[in-house]
Amino acid sequence: MTPPIPPVPPAPPAPPAPPAPPAEGSAADAEKRASFEREALVHLDSLYRVALRLTGNPAEADDLVQETMLKAYRAWHQFERGTNAKGWLLTILRHAFINEYRRRTRHPETVDIDAIEPFSLFQEVQDDDPQGTFFDRIVDDEVLRAIDTLPEQFRETVVLSDVEGMSYEEIARVLEVPVGTVKSRLFRARRLLQQKLYDYAVGMGYIKGSST
Amino acid sequence: MNCRECKEHLYEYLDREITPQIEQEIRQHLVECPPCGEEFDFEKLFLQFLQARCRAHGAPPELKRRILNELFDE
Repeated sequence: MTPPIPPVPPAPPAPPAPPAPPAEGSAADAEKRASFEREALVHLDSLYRVALRLTGNPAEADDLVQETMLKAYRAWHQFERGTNAKGWLLTILRHAFINEYRRRTRHPETVDIDAIEPFSLFQEVQDDDPQGTFFDRIVDDEVLRAIDTLPEQFRETVVLSDVEGMSYEEIARVLEVPVGTVKSRLFRARRLLQQKLYDYAVGMGYIKGSST
Repeated sequence: MNCRECKEHLYEYLDREITPQIEQEIRQHLVECPPCGEEFDFEKLFLQFLQARCRAHGAPPELKRRILNELFDE
């Protein structure tokens, strides 16, 4: 059993707080800084990728990550050493996003899961391109655009799994949902992505469209 | 294990989120059933494609400098 995620610190006022007072240069400060750099700052790229997909905007992603790191540094004494720092940081990031950014940027879409058509890319292309060679012609930006058009619940799940490589259980803890929910969201998210990328590839003439 | 049961575990299998026993049953089915094998290979390729297209991007260097400045007043 993995320990529960430590509590997330309360949100400060909306604008980023002023810089912390200059360090006293004590050994404790040096140790705190060293451990934070070693265990938290190494996840900066992951935090940024997730923030960018959540906000859909580089400037807001910057601010969200900076705010996350600031909150994490202030709460660093609460972090249980040796546990999953990436999950802890992503939980802080996600709470900050929900509390302060989502209101201003995107709205959480309500998703009628049953309305999502079961789509299988393999079914569509198995006769013409079962090896998926057309994947090579789809560039990064197109995939990111497709992810960005997913409903938020699916977008965050697929980013934590397929971009960040987290386990179902880690994702469940960050998103605060049961593992079964992670599985079903992941299935639908991937199939929605397949559909979007299929439509794009057909539109570009990379693959033939089916008769349906 | 039949094809339907096998496909129900598609992503759990590819994500390695499955018990060793079911994993073994799926592996056995995939050997015996080329159509399922082909579909699983395709889905695996799709997941690798997603990862490859998304993981290249990291945080901008200025952001790291900004954060270090703010945290440590450098």
